[in-house]
Amino acid sequence: MSVFLPLIFLLTAASGTAVVLVRDPNRQIFAICANGLVLTILFTALQAPDVALSELAVGAAAVPLLFLVALMAVRAGKVERENGKGGDS
Amino acid sequence: MSPRLRLALLGAALAGLLPGAVAVIRRLPEFGATIAAYGERINAIVPAERHVANMVSAINFDLRGLDTLGEEFMLLAAITGTVVLLRGRRGENTTDRAMRLPGRAILPRSEAVVLACRLAGPLLMMFGLYVVLHATVTPGGGFQGGVILASGTLLAYVGEGYAGWRDVIRSHWLDAMEGGGALLFALCGLAPMLTGAAFMQNVLPFGTFRDLFSGGLMLIENAGVALAVCGGFTQLFLEFLEETREAAGPEEPGEESA
Amino acid sequence: MTWLPYAVAAWLLAAGLYGLASSRNLIHLVGCLSVCQSATYALLLGLGYRWGSIAPIFYDHPPGTPAVDPVMQALVLTDIVVGATLTALLLVLTVQIFKRTGTLDPEQLKPMRRRGDPAGADAPRSAEHPSR
Repeated sequence: MSVFLPLIFLLTAASGTAVVLVRDPNRQIFAICANGLVLTILFTALQAPDVALSELAVGAAAVPLLFLVALMAVRAGKVERENGKGGDS
Repeated sequence: MSPRLRLALLGAALAGLLPGAVAVIRRLPEFGATIAAYGERINAIVPAERHVANMVSAINFDLRGLDTLGEEFMLLAAITGTVVLLRGRRGENTTDRAMRLPGRAILPRSEAVVLACRLAGPLLMMFGLYVVLHATVTPGGGFQGGVILASGTLLAYVGEGYAGWRDVIRSHWLDAMEGGGALLFALCGLAPMLTGAAFMQNVLPFGTFRDLFSGGLMLIENAGVALAVCGGFTQLFLEFLEETREAAGPEEPGEESA
Repeated sequence: MTWLPYAVAAWLLAAGLYGLASSRNLIHLVGCLSVCQSATYALLLGLGYRWGSIAPIFYDHPPGTPAVDPVMQALVLTDIVVGATLTALLLVLTVQIFKRTGTLDPEQLKPMRRRGDPAGADAPRSAEHPSR
């Protein structure tokens, strides 16, 4: 266990850095998902099952979905702008 | 400010803060050696005092219930702001069809996906309900269970598509759940005052340790939080997914499009 | 090992700030903000941990067994849920900025650009805040 915990902490640092360094938002969503899962493992290892449960539901399902929809809305806005004046609906 | 200047400024600030951070980290208690006295006392006293097995729920709903009330209204405010922003911008001018980008093929949903969603959806809702109800006994509670319940409704979107999802989810119910949950929590704080007790004092019978019905007033507060979180998150999903609807053509505003 | 969790928290905060300062896309920027937030999780739970302790749930273990700090866990728990709704709010603001100005790049949002409609001049000013 005393080897396990430092490894998880290092993994958390690495996955958090990955979220920042992945510049393309389409790919960043996957990094955010991975970060949520790594955080879930970290919380479980730190004896916090309550927190792990909520991070699993929020970080791996809810937040990536919100990001996906935001990207979808932005892409739709781009198409509308290219098509002409219809974009102000 | 140019990006390079801004990064230089950030680097200088971080370099300036580094010695302070190192000094603070050196003075912090050694990792894993000890915990704060407050948490230690809670672990020692609360199981006997409140007949509750889950300390985190006990803190959220009883010992620091006032803080959770604040959190609850932060949640309400954030969701209200989101909904107002989205609805105000969107107006009525959208169809009930899902939007599609030109030049991209839409694959039909396979039957395996529909079957898996129909099987997993009710099971996930059951699990969410279990997590909510066993807040004072096992890991879980209104916050986690509410989010799980809200994610369960998403399986209807994945399995049945946008139109099917819209048929199931009613926005008015979600409003009522979200506001009613917060109201229930606030009432749980105010109701004990009618009996002469303090704000949010746990006046109900505590029940038996390790039983589903333990914790007294915590159970009602937990239900309020679960309602508010579940309604709020489903509302978020609903309003976000409304953004993906196809906009009606600007030339024919007269026809009924909803 | 004794300082590693705190160092990880500091690193996450610094990495998130670097992302905030250098981001060229507002959606990417919201993701960086969530990295800053995860620094607080690592710090708080790291402070509340104790070797050889159980989770603060006395179902399988009798009360009195050494357990980790439940206060920190309660803090982090509500933080995660409320933080997710705030992420949603920020994403909505981002989408509105895009709809009004047609760009997601904070560099291209000029604070006092003069345009035809007063509503259009409003949006970039509020967009400047997340990039600082």
